[in-house]
Amino acid sequence: MKCGKWRRVIGTLVAVSLICTSLAGCSKGGAGSKENDAQSTGEQAMGRFLEEEVDTGVKFKNIFDMKKLEDGSLRIVGTEEDSGESGVWESMDAGETWKSVYNLPAEVQDRGISWLDYAALSPGGQIVCAICEIVSGGSGTRPVLYLVDKEGKANKMSFELPQENPEEPAGDAEQPETEEGEQQAARMNYISKLYFPGNEWVVLQDGTGTVYQINVSDSSVKYTYELNSDMLGAPLCAVGNTLIVQDAAQALCYDLQTGEQKPSEEILSQSFVENDSFRAIDTLDGGESVYILFQGGLYHYKFGGNVMEHIIDGSINSLGAPAFFPIALTMIDEQNLLVAAEDINASSGTGVCVVKYTYSADTPVKPEKELKLYSLYENTAIRQCINRFQKEHPDLYINYQVALSEENGVTISDALKTLTTEIMVGNGPDVLLLDGMPVETYIEKGVLKDLSALSIESGGSYFENILNAYQGEDGQRYAVPARFKIPMMQAGSKYFSPGEDFNTFMERKDTMVNMPPREVVEKFWYTCGAAWQKEDKTLDQSKITEFLTKLKHAYGEYDSDVENNKTFFAFATKGEGTELVSDVDFSMGNMYLASGTWNTNFGLYKEMEYGLHKAVNEKLENGNLDLMPGQADHVFIPAQVMGISSKSAQPEMAEEFVKYLFSGEAQKIKQFGGFPVEKESFCGMIDGHQYEGKDGGATITFEGEIFEYDTVPTPEEEITKLTELVESLTTPCLQDDVIKETVVEQGEKVLKGEQSPEAGAAAIMQKVNLYLAE
Amino acid sequence: MRGFLWILPSFLGVMVFYLLPYADVVRRSFLGAVDNHFVGIENYKTVLGNTAFQLAVKNTFLFTLLCIPVLIVVALFCAVTLYKSKYGGIIKSAFLMPMALPAVSVALVWRLLFHSQGLLNHWLSDMNIAGNDWMNSGSAFWILFISYLWKNLGYDIVLWMAGLAGISSNIYEAARVDGAGEMQCFFYITLPNLKSSLYTITVLSFLNSFKVFREAYLVAGDYPHESIYMMQHLFNNWFRAFSFDKMAAAAVMESVVLLALIMLLQKAWDSKD
Repeated sequence: MKCGKWRRVIGTLVAVSLICTSLAGCSKGGAGSKENDAQSTGEQAMGRFLEEEVDTGVKFKNIFDMKKLEDGSLRIVGTEEDSGESGVWESMDAGETWKSVYNLPAEVQDRGISWLDYAALSPGGQIVCAICEIVSGGSGTRPVLYLVDKEGKANKMSFELPQENPEEPAGDAEQPETEEGEQQAARMNYISKLYFPGNEWVVLQDGTGTVYQINVSDSSVKYTYELNSDMLGAPLCAVGNTLIVQDAAQALCYDLQTGEQKPSEEILSQSFVENDSFRAIDTLDGGESVYILFQGGLYHYKFGGNVMEHIIDGSINSLGAPAFFPIALTMIDEQNLLVAAEDINASSGTGVCVVKYTYSADTPVKPEKELKLYSLYENTAIRQCINRFQKEHPDLYINYQVALSEENGVTISDALKTLTTEIMVGNGPDVLLLDGMPVETYIEKGVLKDLSALSIESGGSYFENILNAYQGEDGQRYAVPARFKIPMMQAGSKYFSPGEDFNTFMERKDTMVNMPPREVVEKFWYTCGAAWQKEDKTLDQSKITEFLTKLKHAYGEYDSDVENNKTFFAFATKGEGTELVSDVDFSMGNMYLASGTWNTNFGLYKEMEYGLHKAVNEKLENGNLDLMPGQADHVFIPAQVMGISSKSAQPEMAEEFVKYLFSGEAQKIKQFGGFPVEKESFCGMIDGHQYEGKDGGATITFEGEIFEYDTVPTPEEEITKLTELVESLTTPCLQDDVIKETVVEQGEKVLKGEQSPEAGAAAIMQKVNLYLAE
Repeated sequence: MRGFLWILPSFLGVMVFYLLPYADVVRRSFLGAVDNHFVGIENYKTVLGNTAFQLAVKNTFLFTLLCIPVLIVVALFCAVTLYKSKYGGIIKSAFLMPMALPAVSVALVWRLLFHSQGLLNHWLSDMNIAGNDWMNSGSAFWILFISYLWKNLGYDIVLWMAGLAGISSNIYEAARVDGAGEMQCFFYITLPNLKSSLYTITVLSFLNSFKVFREAYLVAGDYPHESIYMMQHLFNNWFRAFSFDKMAAAAVMESVVLLALIMLLQKAWDSKD
C-alpha cells in the first residue's frame, strides 16, 4: 500500500515535469535568450572597434604596401593618382596625418618600357620593388627586382627568376595583365606575390607556384619552397619568420629561418578553410601571433594555440562589404589598426582608401538596435548599402538574411514557407528585398506596408515610371524598385531595325542561330509575358500559342551543339568585385555578336559601356542598339524591389533605411544590380566619367579572337538618348517566377522540337491555371 | 475526482496541442488573411468556389476511394496466404521493407524511372515502344496509386495477420470436422472474426493515404500534373502565399467531413457488432 502511494507520487512528478519541459520548449526565449536577458536587465557587453576612413591628403591610384616600421612610424608605398608618380608616404601620428618622404627612383617608376608591379615594405623601411620589363624585341616581359633603401636609393638585385617552360603553362596560377597581350606573357615567368617579412629576406612566388626566399644582402636564394601542383595560385603570406600557404584543406606553415615545414596548426587551418581566402595579415610580436583579415572580419591567432579570436565583426563595418578588398593590414597596437583597401565606393573617388579601426571601450559589442533585412538571393549592391548605412548609424545592426545559397540547398518554395512562418509569428524581417517573391500576392494579402508616405522623390529627380511600377489605382505604393534593367537588342540592319515590332522580327531568318533555346525563351518572356495577362489576371492561351509559334519559326531547327558552346563570363573591375554574368544578361552576348557566333544579341541591359557598344556596332553592318521587340511594348524589369513588412517591429527605422536606398549616395553604388532609378546617379553610371581625359582601350579575347575597343566617355547625345528611352518605358515585365519557370520549361521543349507550340501552350495553361486558381 | 486527475496530463496535452489550435483555426476561418478583420463566411464561399480546391477535393476523394479498398483486399489476400505459409514470417518482413525506405530515396527512384528521359522510357525504347512523360500526364495518378499500394501493403498485412492470429484454431478444426472447405472457412469464420481489425485497418490506411503527398511533392514539386494535385498541395501553396483565410476555411470543412466519415464508419461497425 505504502509502495503504491510512492508510485503515484513519482508518477505525478514525472507527468508534471514532462508538461513543464514541453511548455518550456514553447517559450519565446530560444537560443538567444541569454543575450535577450542581458539586454532586458540592462547588462550589455561593451567594447567594439569603430571604423573611420583616413584622410591621407593623397589621392592614391594604387597602394602596394603599408607597414608599421621598427621606429614606430607608418609608411605607405603607392602611386599618386594625379601625377602618376610612385612614392613613399609617412605618418608619425598613428595615421592621422601623412607626408611624402620621397618619390621612388626613376628605375622603378612606370616608364612605358617597364612598370611597377609589386612593392613591399620591410620593418626597417626598405622597399623591394618588382618591375615588369619588356624584353628587347618585345617578345615578352620579365620581372626585375630592385631594393630601395630607407632614403630612396635603388639598387638592382641580381636575382633572376628561372624561365618558365613554354611547353608547360602555369596551370591555374594567376596571369599578369599586360597591354602587350597575354598570350606572350603566359610563356614568360612572372612574380605573382611579393612579401618583405623581415629586414633580411624577400619572399616571392613565381608563375609556376614556386616560392623563393631571397637574401636581400646578396640576392642569393636562401630557400626554395616547391609547392604541390594543386597548390599553384594558392593564397600565401609571409609574416615574421613564418610562411603560410593555404590550400583547399589546410594552412601549411614553413619556418623562414630553417626552411622546414612547421607542425600543422589545426585551428589556423580550420579558420582558413571556413573563411575561404584570407585577405591581409600582420603581427605585433615578431610573428609569435598573427592578425588575419577574412571577409568575416579581423581574427587573432597565436601559433601553437587552440583559439582563433574574432576581434572585429566584418558584418557591421567595411571589412565584410562586397566591394572592399584589403591590400595591407597594419597593426599599430592592439587597439588601433589601419587597412589599405580597394573600394570602388571609397570617398577618395580613386577606388583606393585607408581605413582606421579604433577600439572603443564605451561602445556596445553589438549595436543596440537591429533591423532585419531579407532576400532570397545574395545582393551585393544591398550589402554595400547596408555597410554605408551602418556607418552613419553606429547604433544599428542590419541583419541581412539571404535565404538561398549554394551551401544550404534550400528551395524557393521552402524559403518562402519559412518566411511566411516567421512573419506570422512576429519574428519576420522588417525590410524585404522582393527578388523572386510573389510581390502581387504579398500586396494583396497585406504583407507589405504602404510606402507612399515615404516621399522617396524628395531625394532628387527620379524615373517616376519605374518608381511607380507597383503603384495601385488608389496611389498606394507597397513595393518600389530601386533599380531596373531594360531588355535591349543589338544587331546589324539585316537582322534588326530599331523600333521594329515582334511580328516583323520573328519573320526574319537566322536571327537566333547558335543560341541556347532556354535562354532565348527566357529573354523573350520578359518582353512578351506582360502582354498575356488578362484583366482577371488569368493568361491568354492564344497569345502564348502565338508567342511559341512565332518564336519556333524564328528559331528554326535545334542544334544540340549550342549547349556545349556556352561560355561563362566573370567580369571584375578594380574594387567592384566579380560578377558571373547571368545567361540572360545583355553583356553575356557582346562577344558572341562581335565574333559573329551570334547574329543578334539581346537580353537584360543593366550597365552601359559605350566604347564596347560602338565598337561592336562598327563591326556589324549598320549595327543598331535599341529596345528588344516583344508582344508587350516598352517593357522594363524592376530590380532591387524594396518593401517593408506590415508586421515590422521597427517601421520607422525600416522606412529610414528604405529611403536611404533611394538617396543619391546609395543609388551611386555600382554593384551589378541594374540602373539606378535616380536620374543623376543613372547618368553618372552611364557617362563613362572614369575614362575622361585618358586615352585607353580594352582588349577582350574570345574563342581565340582578340577584340579591341576604346574606353571613352559616353557622348552627351547618347546619354540623352538612353535617358529618353528609359522615360518612355511604361510596362513592368510580368514578375512571377512560377509562371516564368513553366513558360521557360515548356518553351524550351518547343524550340527543341520535342512538342508543338500548341501542346506547349496547353501545358503552360494547365499548370499556370492551377497556380492562378489558388 | 482522482480519476480526473490521472487523465489531466493527457487532457492538457490534447487541449494545448489539438483542441485550442483547432479552435484558433475555426476562428481564423472567419477572419482576413493577415489583417485579421472579420469577414463572416466569405472565406468559405471563396474556397467552395475555388477551382483549385474543387480539383484537389476531387483528386483526394478519387485517390482515397480507389486506393483503400484495393489495399485492404490485396493485403488481406496476402495475409491469409502468408499466414498459412511456413515462411510467412520472413516474407512478411520483406513486405515491410518499403515502409523503412525514406521518402526522399523513393522520390529519387521515381525520378530515375519516370522522367521523360528516364530508365522506363529507355527500356521501352529498346523494345520499340513509344515512351511517355509519365509524371506530366494522366499516368502520374497510377504511379502514385501503385506507390501507395507498394509502400503500405506490408503494414496492412501485419495488421491483418495480427487479426488472423487472434482467431482460435479450434473453430477451424470444428468447421472442418463438419465438412467445411477452405472457402467456407474463409467466408464464415475468418472474415467475421476480422471485423474489428477491419475498422482499425481502414482508418489507418485512410490516414496513411495522406502521406503519399511526400513522394508526389518531392518528385513533381508544388504544381504536379493535375491528376495528382491533392489537398496537401493546395494547403502547401496557400501557406506560402499567406492565404491563411482560405486554409482555415478549407481545413475546417475537411475536418468536419473526415470526422463525419469516421463516425459513420464507427457507427456502422458498432451496429453490426
